[in-house]
Amino acid sequence: MFKDLWFRLRALFRRKSVETELDEELRFHLERQAEKYVRAGLDREEARHRARLEFGGYEQVKEEYRDARGVSLIETLARDVRYGFRALRSNPGFSTVAILTLALGIGANTAIFSVIDSVLLRRLPYADPDRLVMVWESLPGRNPHNTVSPPDFLDWGSRNSVFSGMAALFDQRANLTGNGQPQEVVLQDVTANFFSILGVNPILGTGFTAENGQPGHDDVLVLSCGFWKERYGGDSSIIGKTITLNGHPLMVVGVAPEGFDWFIKDSSLTGAKPQMWTPWIIPQAFHDRKNVGRFMTVAARLKPGATVQQARVQMNTIAAQIAQEYPDFNGHWGANVVPVREQISGDLRPALWILLGAVGFVLLIACANVSSLLLARAAARERELAIRTAIGASRWRIAFQLLTESVLLAVMGGSVGVALAIWGTNVLLAANPRNLLDLRSVSVDLPLLAFAVGSTLLAGLIFGFLPSFISAHASVAETLKEGGRGSSAGKGRGTARSAFVVLQMCLALVLLAGSGLLIRSFIRLVGVDPGFAASHLLTFKVTLPRLKYGTDAKCQAFFQELLPRLSHLPGVRSVTMNSYPPFTGLGAATGVRLLSQPPRSLKDLPDAEVRVVGPNYFSTMEVPLRAGRTFSEDELSQARHVAIINQAFADKYMSGTNPLGQKAVIFMKSLEESGNPSSEIIGVVGDVRQMGLDTPGEPTVYWPYPELVYSGMTILVRTSNDPLALVPAVRNELQQMDPEQPMAAVATMDQLLGESLERSRFTMLLLAIFAAMALLLASVGIYGVIAYGVTQRTQEFGIRIALGARRSDVLRLVLGQGTRLALLGIGLGIIFALALSKFLGTLLYGITPTDPLTFGAVALLLTLVALVACFVPAHRATRVDPIEALRYE
Amino acid sequence: MPRIDLPQGTLDLLILRTLALEPQHGWAISERIQQISSDVLRVQQGSLYPALHRLERRGWIKARWGTSENNRRAKYYELTKTGRRQLEVEKDAWDKLTAAVAQVLGTA
Repeated sequence: MFKDLWFRLRALFRRKSVETELDEELRFHLERQAEKYVRAGLDREEARHRARLEFGGYEQVKEEYRDARGVSLIETLARDVRYGFRALRSNPGFSTVAILTLALGIGANTAIFSVIDSVLLRRLPYADPDRLVMVWESLPGRNPHNTVSPPDFLDWGSRNSVFSGMAALFDQRANLTGNGQPQEVVLQDVTANFFSILGVNPILGTGFTAENGQPGHDDVLVLSCGFWKERYGGDSSIIGKTITLNGHPLMVVGVAPEGFDWFIKDSSLTGAKPQMWTPWIIPQAFHDRKNVGRFMTVAARLKPGATVQQARVQMNTIAAQIAQEYPDFNGHWGANVVPVREQISGDLRPALWILLGAVGFVLLIACANVSSLLLARAAARERELAIRTAIGASRWRIAFQLLTESVLLAVMGGSVGVALAIWGTNVLLAANPRNLLDLRSVSVDLPLLAFAVGSTLLAGLIFGFLPSFISAHASVAETLKEGGRGSSAGKGRGTARSAFVVLQMCLALVLLAGSGLLIRSFIRLVGVDPGFAASHLLTFKVTLPRLKYGTDAKCQAFFQELLPRLSHLPGVRSVTMNSYPPFTGLGAATGVRLLSQPPRSLKDLPDAEVRVVGPNYFSTMEVPLRAGRTFSEDELSQARHVAIINQAFADKYMSGTNPLGQKAVIFMKSLEESGNPSSEIIGVVGDVRQMGLDTPGEPTVYWPYPELVYSGMTILVRTSNDPLALVPAVRNELQQMDPEQPMAAVATMDQLLGESLERSRFTMLLLAIFAAMALLLASVGIYGVIAYGVTQRTQEFGIRIALGARRSDVLRLVLGQGTRLALLGIGLGIIFALALSKFLGTLLYGITPTDPLTFGAVALLLTLVALVACFVPAHRATRVDPIEALRYE
Repeated sequence: MPRIDLPQGTLDLLILRTLALEPQHGWAISERIQQISSDVLRVQQGSLYPALHRLERRGWIKARWGTSENNRRAKYYELTKTGRRQLEVEKDAWDKLTAAVAQVLGTA
């Protein structure tokens, strides 16, 4: 065994001397044999000739000897690689196009895969995250992910047998004071078992204990790692110290691990990631369904052995029981169980799968292109290969060598591709919609590398196989006789190359159609009128701590002073406020009953959004008044029980009647009708889009601020110039009134609007890039095939022209060939795209997935590009000089 | 007299047997086989050298450069200890095979 290895290595490293020795040995043999014949009476020349003849193929013996020596596989590979490099270098145009084509395909693939990996596949920062689920209340057909009310949460907890624990939480903003600038922070109030259910231990301190869930022991706090570093410089002596939040002193008992957070977009009341957590004890009053609404997020861990499906079934049963027991509050309501991973990747999931599919298509097109290039090259080298076969190379050897060349190409393309992937991943990170996803953790790592290497090798094998296969089956004699033209292999290649063109055209059309649909949809979306003027509008939030501003009167007095102060600043045109302004997330909504309609229980009443606004709201926002009047000075300083509705409300709930003067009970202050004085409708205004440009305005009721005082309001400042330039002046006014009062969530309305479009823009942009790549690759592909065909048929064109064919006939002939292939591919592509486009459904706005205009436009575009790509070689064909063409060989 | 090409696998045995007498170079081996078999067996010269190197790799024979009878540098092969044992094994197997074949042919 050892000896065997030594022989192989010796042979490998001392190849030269081994070869010389072999030569010498064989020469010795031949000479002795010749001498024998000389002694037998032949003349010297004759004897040598005979000895040679008897010996057989000298080179063949050497080859066999090498095989016997057992090094040939490694050596052959090394030789093929060397040869392959030389072949690639000798044809730089081909190599560059092939390598870049592959790099594009592989690079894009890897970049998208790394994003998908981090979003869909990667571990979440919780122990055994696949056992964690979200439990929502659900209104069938309306909202599958509704936040949960405390009494329902308590009943779920006591009745289920599928969860080992359930935690509830909700987030809010709080003012952090003392020790530096006042700051508004995002705080999550969590049941004390929150961290233990997620299976997360603090990196510092003990975290929450069961005792912290008891009244009187809940004045503790856990900091997020990020906030701890940012505000406290990562000082570990913070544990045991006290921090003042909304005026309450809280003791720091822990710092959460780096990267840990809990942010579920659907249920976030702040729209931001939490910076700290405090234990929350459900107050006794919240055990009664009369006193509390639905506002909590619920997370639960499945018991060992329990499945999501079992949990779903059981929670539905429990929800149905509760709905029967409390028909007023729980009628119609069900429960919904969603794995945490699915919840987090939620919205982006369909887009990511579509992008992955698109990238796969680009890689396929790239492979088809390179395969086609290799076929053309194999055809050009047909004679070379035939000669090698004739002098003794086996077919297997030739196929192996061609395969080596393709894998070599794939590896080089792959390395450039990986570089491209790293760059592309960073571009994706930069382009990533803010707050949509946590992409900070995306990095190039092992699975990514495995994916890149895997797709590289697969690509190499796929596009290496076909040319090798066809070449290996070429008939030597025929090839040499025919000079490479008209042989069976030639025909095989022609068919294969045509098939590649059809495939490329087909895939390119699918990608173009997909991106065309998204682009058209995006243009529609951007063109949507939000219902107000978004430019030159500064927004920020002021949340007054209840400890300091305990009464409604105090809050009202604060804002009544703040708004006029701001409106007197230079550059400010007008100032107003809103409890939940557009494009800042979810707002409050409740049931509404018109007095003209019979009383019904709350659960059966139609819903309306409720907005509480300050003075000059409609004029500042430029929301048009459609009927009646806006709020008067008096109504804006005292509760006079008046309301303004929007057009959607009038159309949906009051159509056919005059809304003005009618009275409505708005169930905002109590769940009982008696607790809600009815409001008179004094005006109708235009609809405003709240959640995004793709969601039309819901029926909405506006109240003046005194009607329902919120401690937190968003201030809206209409400016004459850049709104952000006013921030220092505004902050100064605010801090003159209360130095401890922070200015939070500062943004311009244009920014908020832009962010709401980010996801659509992101998906559209990527798909458009892929489509452009596909278009480029496919046109290079069809150009290559037609150009090659023209070169092959130069002689034929020469004869045709010599026999009197007009140049336009030749042009038509070549163009016809290309057009046929292109149209076939485009036709197949349309069928394919129509079948696939339904997956785009949820991403589209305002157009159908089969939009004929888009399909027509992209088919036309692709046809034109294909025609141009064919025209260049076709034009060359018409330039053929008959005399030269006939000489051409 | 017609010559017989060597059946597959017998070349190794013949080489080992030839080398059992004394170390020899390649040409001499082929000559010796031909001579001893009274010119009936013909060694395909092309396959002799790959076979020699196969045997060398297995460690049954070893090679060294020596001087030939006409004073030329030549590569001599000689049997190793394992080679000698292998010769016994192969000879045994061959005897059994030929006996069995003869028996079949004899009774047929």
